[in-house]
Amino acid sequence: MSETNKEDSVWTVLEGERRSVGVIHIVITALLIGIGFVVGAFGSISFPLGFGVNFFWTGIAVQQIGPIWFGGWGIIAGVIFPFFSNAIAGTPFYVSLAYIPANFVQAFLPAFAMKKLNCDPRLKKGRDYLVLFVAMVVSSAFGAIYSPLVVLKGFGLLTVESLPLFMWGWFGGNVVAGVVFNFVLLKALSGVVIKTPAFVKKWWS
Amino acid sequence: MKKTLLGYMPDESFIYHVHPSVKVLFLLVVSLFPMFISAVEWNAALILFLIFLLVVSRVSLRIIKIYIPVAISMGTIILLSYTVLGGRHPEFSIVGSPLGVPIYWERIRDALVVYFRILPMILTMVFFLSTTREREIVAAFRAARIPFVVTYMIAMSMRAAGMVLEDFRIVRQAEQARGFDTKGKSLPYKIRKYVAYMIPLFALSLRRAEEFTNALVARGYSFRSNVKRPDYILSRYRFRWWDALACLVIMAGFAALLAARYGYGKFTLEDSIFLDWLGGRLLSGAAA
Amino acid sequence: MNHHAVEIIDYTWKYLHGTGEAVSGLNLTVEAGECIGLIGSNGSGKTTLVNSIDGLIPGQYHGIKTGEVRVFGTEVEEYKRGELQREVGLVFSDPEAQFTAMTVEDELVFGMENLGLSLKEIQVRLDWACELADLGSMLEKPPYEISGGQKQRVALAAVLAMQPKLLILDEPTAMLDPISRARVFDVLARLRKERDITMILIEHTLEHIIPLVDRMVLLGEGKVLHQAPTREFFDDLTLLREQGVLPPSVVGFSGWLRESGRVDGPSALSIEEAADQARQARGGE
Repeated sequence: MSETNKEDSVWTVLEGERRSVGVIHIVITALLIGIGFVVGAFGSISFPLGFGVNFFWTGIAVQQIGPIWFGGWGIIAGVIFPFFSNAIAGTPFYVSLAYIPANFVQAFLPAFAMKKLNCDPRLKKGRDYLVLFVAMVVSSAFGAIYSPLVVLKGFGLLTVESLPLFMWGWFGGNVVAGVVFNFVLLKALSGVVIKTPAFVKKWWS
Repeated sequence: MKKTLLGYMPDESFIYHVHPSVKVLFLLVVSLFPMFISAVEWNAALILFLIFLLVVSRVSLRIIKIYIPVAISMGTIILLSYTVLGGRHPEFSIVGSPLGVPIYWERIRDALVVYFRILPMILTMVFFLSTTREREIVAAFRAARIPFVVTYMIAMSMRAAGMVLEDFRIVRQAEQARGFDTKGKSLPYKIRKYVAYMIPLFALSLRRAEEFTNALVARGYSFRSNVKRPDYILSRYRFRWWDALACLVIMAGFAALLAARYGYGKFTLEDSIFLDWLGGRLLSGAAA
Repeated sequence: MNHHAVEIIDYTWKYLHGTGEAVSGLNLTVEAGECIGLIGSNGSGKTTLVNSIDGLIPGQYHGIKTGEVRVFGTEVEEYKRGELQREVGLVFSDPEAQFTAMTVEDELVFGMENLGLSLKEIQVRLDWACELADLGSMLEKPPYEISGGQKQRVALAAVLAMQPKLLILDEPTAMLDPISRARVFDVLARLRKERDITMILIEHTLEHIIPLVDRMVLLGEGKVLHQAPTREFFDDLTLLREQGVLPPSVVGFSGWLRESGRVDGPSALSIEEAADQARQARGGE
C-alpha cells in the first residue's frame, strides 16, 4: 500500500475537513436495525436450520455492509438487529443474547479489514474484492465455530456429534449470502453513500 | 383493537393495565425458568400457563399458528441431533435400531428435555411480542433510566422495520408491474430477484435517513442537548400496586424455583414422573 | 432592538457534491408577523432556502456557504444546538418522512419534550394543537396508519405545539387530495387569525395561498426574481408565465380582462373580485 494511495483513499480525512458525529448517525443505526430486522427475519424464517441458524442468512448483507459504510454505527446495528430478527423467528431470548460476540466479529472484521488495508468500498480493484471476501470468510468461520459450540452446546440444545452440521450451516449460510449480496450492494451503492454525511471515514464520523 | 408488536389486541384486555416494566421483567425472568427445569411435565405446565395468559389477555391464539412450523422444525432438528446424529454410546440403553442406527433412551430423554425447555421460552417471547406495544418498550426502557438516545434508537428501529416492509412491498409491486414474478420460479431465480430488491431498499433507506434526520433536527432534537426531557411517555403509565405484586410474584417464583432445584433437588430428571413412565414403556418394548 | 424575523444577505450555498450553486447571492427580508408565499419551479432553491433558515443547512449538509442568514437578528450558525428550532418550525412535504414516534400522541409531544417543557405545559399545548388540527380521536393510533390528510395535520400540529415564532411550510399539501389540502389550509387560516405568527409558505397551488399571504416571492436559479404584495405580484403575468408559474384561473381571467383593456386596476384574487371585473367589462362593452 503506497502513501499516494492512502491520500486518495475514501477513508482519509482531508485537511480542513470537518467531520463529527451527528443525528444522522443515530438515524442510520436505527434504519440499519430496521432493515436487518426484516431481511434477517426473512432468512431465519425462509431457510431455517434452527435456533437462528440458517443455511442462507440474508441478514449478513446488513451486518457486513453497514459497518463498512457507517463504521461503529453499522457494528452496533449488526449486533442488535439479529436479536430482533431471531426473536420474531422463534429463537429464545437468551440464545439470541449469547450470539452477540459472533455477530460482533462478523460485523467488525470486514469493515476493519477494508479500512486497515485501505480498500475502496466501491470495489475498484481485484484486491478490494479479495480482502472483503477473505474477511467475510474468516469472520463467518469465527461465528460458525463460536455459536454452535458455545451457544447451542452451552444451552444443551445440540449434541457434540451434530455440531458440524450447524457449523457448516452457519458458515455456508453466511458466506454464500454474503457473496450474493455484499459485492453487488457495495458496487451499486457505495458511490452514493460516500457522498452522504452519514458515511463514516474513521469509526464514528 | 390496538396494535402490538405481533398483531392486534382487543381494547378490553386486562394487559393494558399492566405496567410495561412488568412485561419486560416477565420476559427476562420467565424465559429463564425452563433452563432450570429438566422434568418435562413442569415445563409442559409452564406452556399451559403461558397459553392461559395469552387467552386471558385476549390474544388471538392464531398467533401461535405462525410458530407451529418453527416449533416442528426445531423439534425435528433436536430429535435428529440427539438420536440419528447422536453418535454411538455403548453405555446407554437401546430402544431400537432402525436401519442399523442405534436409538438410545437417554438420547430421546435428553431431546425431550431440551425441546420442552425451548417451547416455553418461545411462548414467553410470543406472549411478550403479542401483548406489548412499541411505545411500551420505550416506556419500560425509560422507566429503567436507559438513556433517551438508546431508547429512541430502539423505537426508531421498530418504526424503520415497518417502513422497510412497506418499501419492500412497493419495490416488489413495481417489479411485478414490470413483469417480474417469482411465483413458481427456481430458488436461484428468487435469490437473484431478492438481490434486485435489496438495492432499492437500501437506496430508499439512505434517502429516509436524510429526511428523518432533518425532521429530528427541525424539531429540536440533539443527542448532546443539555435540556432535561420531561419523559411525557412515563406520565401515561402508572406503576400500581398490582404491578409491584406481579414483580414480586415473578421474582419470588424464580427464587423458589432455584431453591427447589438446588436446595431440594426438585425439577430434575429423576424427579420426572413422565420420563420415568416413558422410559419404562420404551425400554420394556425394546426388551420384548 | 426590533429585528426582522428573517434577513438574508448575499447568501450563496453550494452542496459539496452538487453541480452548481443551489442559492446564489440571494437577498430577502421577512418582517415579524408577516406571511409570505414562496414560489418557483423545481430546483429554483426554495427548499435550500428554507432549510437554511431552519439551520439544517449548513448543520446537516456538507457544502460551501457565503453571506448571512439571520433569524430574529442572529446568524443561524451562532445559535446553540437546538436553540434555533425553538424559534423556527419547519413542516416538510412528505408527512411520513417526518414522523419520529409510534403514536400520534408521542409524535405531537416529541418536539415539546426536546424543548424541555413541563408536563403540565405539554398537556396544555397538546390539547390546543389537537383541537386546532382536529386530532383528538386519533392520539393512540400509529401516525403511519392514518390517512394522508390526517398525517399532514399531525405533522403540522407537532410543529405548532412547539409554538415557534416563525413557521415554515415546505409544500405541506403536495401529497394530499383536494379535500385534505383544503383542511390543512383551514388550519393555517385559523392559525393566522388567532396567533401573531410569521409564516413562510412554499406551495404550488396558488389559489390556496393567495388568501393567506401578505407577499409573494418568486425564486428562480437560486435568486429572488420578483417579490411584491400579493395583489401587485400578479400584475406582471408574463414574467410569471416565463418562470413556469401558472396563475390561478381567477387571476388568469382577470389578467386577460386587463391585458385586453376591458378593465383597469389591480388583479382580482378571488372569484367575487373576478365576477365584479367581468360585470364591469360587460358594462363597458
